[in-house]
Amino acid sequence: MLDIYLPIIFAIFLIAFTLYIIRIVKGPSVVDMALAVDCLAFDLAVFIGLLTLYFRTPFLIIGAIALALWAYILDIYIAKYFVRKEVGE
Amino acid sequence: MFEIVEWIVFIIGLILVTIGAICDLAGALGLVRFPNFFVRLHAATVGTIGGAVIPLFGVALIAAVSSQIGPFRWAVAGGAMITAVLIMIIAPAGSHALAYAAHKAKIVPVEPKVCDLLEEHEKKKMEAKKK
Repeated sequence: MLDIYLPIIFAIFLIAFTLYIIRIVKGPSVVDMALAVDCLAFDLAVFIGLLTLYFRTPFLIIGAIALALWAYILDIYIAKYFVRKEVGE
Repeated sequence: MFEIVEWIVFIIGLILVTIGAICDLAGALGLVRFPNFFVRLHAATVGTIGGAVIPLFGVALIAAVSSQIGPFRWAVAGGAMITAVLIMIIAPAGSHALAYAAHKAKIVPVEPKVCDLLEEHEKKKMEAKKK
């Protein structure tokens, strides 16, 4: 059942990825791009989870946690740079 | 008896994954179509909470009952659950930080505005500094 049903979900997710990438390329300001990259990274984490079910490989799910945390670090660094005009400290 | 429970959990997981895919598509469409950064934040939150947290809970439920993955299925379920809880905590924090930075650095105009208490507060602070 999963073999039939998951490709439909993959198709919907791929359309969403394409729309996010349009916003990343087009985005008029840097915060728009950061927001789109954020959404894209969280959705890639979901996509990895679905691929784990599709290929029946348990090792793929490890990457999802690091991906989610990476997107959060990107957000915080960009916000920090815009508020204080420096990164770190 | 136990097989019925497994089927119910499996179908609940599939429903959650479907809700997540639809929310994700809606969030992506909103992120492309909406006119302004502060309006786009709404669509982005639909895309992260509705489109990432809910399908990951669905993946956890499906992995917990699917026997094809083998002895590692609890690892998959736990990893998906941990990722879902992490995203539920960090996605609002990240978008709030971005919104605060965009408002503070005045990168984008605050366009559909009724009342801006943060701007008034900063103006008051600047006047108090001048005195």
